[in-house]
Amino acid sequence: MGWDNTTLFVDDDAADRAFRAEVRDWVAANVPSELCNRSTRIDPPALKPWHRKLFERGWIAPHWPKEYGGMGATLTQQIILFEEIARVGAPTPYPHGLNFIGPLIIEVGTPAQKQKHLPPILTGETTWCQGYSEVGAGSDLASLQASAALDGDHFVVNGHKVWTTNGHFADWMFALLRTDPDATPRHAGISMLLIDLKSPGVSVRPIQTIKGDAEFAEEFFVDVRVPRQNLLGPLNEGWRVANRLLGSERFTTGHPRNAAVLLNKAREVAELTGTRRAPGFLHKLASLEIDLLAFSAYYRHAASLHGRGKAPASMAPVIKIVGGELGQRASELLVEAAGPFGAQAEDLSIGNHAVNPAAEMFEMRRVTVGSGAVEIQRNIIAKRMLGLPTA
Amino acid sequence: MELVLNEQQAMLAETAERLAAASGGPPRARALRDAGQDLDTDAWSAVIRAGWLGTVVAERHGGLGLGLFELALTLEQAGRRILMTPLAEAAAAAFALSRVGTEESALALAALLDGARLIVPATRPSAWGLGGGLRDGDTLDGVIPFVSFAPSADVFLLATDAIVCLLDRTAPGVAIEVKAQVDGARASMVRFTKAAPAAVLARGDPARSLTAALRDVLVLAAGAELLGVAAGAHGLTLDHIKLRQQFGKPIGSFQVLQHRAVDTFIDVELNRSLLFRVAAAFDAGTHHPAMISAVKARTSRAALTATRTALQMHGALGYTDAHDIGLYYKRALALAARYGGELEHTARFSELTLA
Repeated sequence: MGWDNTTLFVDDDAADRAFRAEVRDWVAANVPSELCNRSTRIDPPALKPWHRKLFERGWIAPHWPKEYGGMGATLTQQIILFEEIARVGAPTPYPHGLNFIGPLIIEVGTPAQKQKHLPPILTGETTWCQGYSEVGAGSDLASLQASAALDGDHFVVNGHKVWTTNGHFADWMFALLRTDPDATPRHAGISMLLIDLKSPGVSVRPIQTIKGDAEFAEEFFVDVRVPRQNLLGPLNEGWRVANRLLGSERFTTGHPRNAAVLLNKAREVAELTGTRRAPGFLHKLASLEIDLLAFSAYYRHAASLHGRGKAPASMAPVIKIVGGELGQRASELLVEAAGPFGAQAEDLSIGNHAVNPAAEMFEMRRVTVGSGAVEIQRNIIAKRMLGLPTA
Repeated sequence: MELVLNEQQAMLAETAERLAAASGGPPRARALRDAGQDLDTDAWSAVIRAGWLGTVVAERHGGLGLGLFELALTLEQAGRRILMTPLAEAAAAAFALSRVGTEESALALAALLDGARLIVPATRPSAWGLGGGLRDGDTLDGVIPFVSFAPSADVFLLATDAIVCLLDRTAPGVAIEVKAQVDGARASMVRFTKAAPAAVLARGDPARSLTAALRDVLVLAAGAELLGVAAGAHGLTLDHIKLRQQFGKPIGSFQVLQHRAVDTFIDVELNRSLLFRVAAAFDAGTHHPAMISAVKARTSRAALTATRTALQMHGALGYTDAHDIGLYYKRALALAARYGGELEHTARFSELTLA
């Protein structure tokens, strides 16, 4: 009865509706069909033509100010672009350049850094990766050890970064590195550096994920010389620079649509396998749809407050926790819906597209761990919002 | 998260918070229960004076001309302070009466809004099995169970799929059997034996749709109170775990408790967004009945989970009758059971959206 779980509580005004229609028509006419609804990962090189098309249309960086080649779009318009691209199952360009380092360079970069790095991020010529995690520094990121020592007008970088999404495809890395080993507290001695990964002394090794593809990589740095002008922001203030980033990027990475699509796949797969007739299936599905409805309400509510500059500090962690855990539960239902096909390594065919329930579920394991595990997000809420004392 | 409110709504929210704090609170609810009462007459007078009974009634019918959004603002506060009044019942009855448009309904509505006569809905408490045996002709025969505030009511607004009518509580052939609920509320079995309606307001399809709308309002209203109950219990619990010391530290410093408290916080936040978005959609005429069921399913689950977590964090105190937190648990149980809880409304949501 007209229930569309992908557009719940949409807040468009008249201008937004017109923009949505324009985007929808353009995407339908321009999206490369071979990239849509893929059950396997699309690596950055395969994504470049689509990136380029969005760039040429002027829609690649809705959230960037116009003077840097963005759209200066409202948050609602940014969300609309994301939703309409995702509607047809098309991939969203990777966020590391466009959403992470691009906005940071715009905010704290030097004129030379802006001139050098922003244009190729927009066109898609350069691929970026984020060099934060280390073997000994995951949730406790401030304990990172990879170092950058000043030597004249260069930093000399040594150490090891790991779990770097797209590291083996990236041209550049933005990295948090220890520049003052004696600083207290520990995060006071960290700086952010922009590193050309083709520099001598850098070696990169892909890492196969639980899903079976090489999504991320590890990088070894041995006496890598990085020009001093590649320091982003002030020396030893990398922690503060990195923390400027959290907030509106959650509105795309944490969109309720991720769970909605998985639930719709679960429904289709349950029809195919007959699991739909199991009495518990519809109840589980409805229960998750209700949670999705609540999350969608929260998401639109948060967006409207964010647009007014009134979003609370809990917004980003809540979207991260709920979006991640709901997506995971939806992917688990998809595997259950698949019944005997739940552990099958190859795709299932549904109509004209392929679904791989186990691969979808494996991929969703990442979302409660990457960029700050949900346990850390809960610690943040406990401390900042609930005012609970530290142990 | 704070709601996006206009000036009138912000004022209403503030008044509601003040009124509920001044006229409600667990000690009063407990005293009423011990006295075998379910209606706090002082609090009820304050609510009538505030005009909240007419929240969902157009101004031309003597109401405030607002909507379910505003009713939910007041009921969330009522839930937070366990305010024992028939606000939800009376506001829902007023809403239904205002949609009828007969002379009898207008008179009844006026008497309800100015506090002269208390009119409460009598409608089946669940989609399944209960209360289906009403036969109507010129007179009514049958039973409606779990009618809230029945002994205090002057008039019942009897609402089924076949008939909506007004019936005086003291009319011949109307008998009430009171059932006490765990929270001190009373739900009554109202039995009709050749009872004659004072006024028939609708029959057939109009009765069916009016009853459906009335039930949606009652269900959403219970959801709003449940949201308040969960938020109230969460607040008491935060206060407790910040103060209570064990192993030389406040127990709220332990991560296990922190994460459970955060999960309650998140549940309450999501439910507040959900409730007020659904209420706004209803007011804009774009609601889907499935959304109302989603609210009741989720607020029921969250209030029960939140209050159980609260009891656990209060330790032995949570097992005593004297401590307020237990009353929140009981209130959550009673409101979750009213008009269907998580199980029933998840099933209804499924039928409405997935079939």
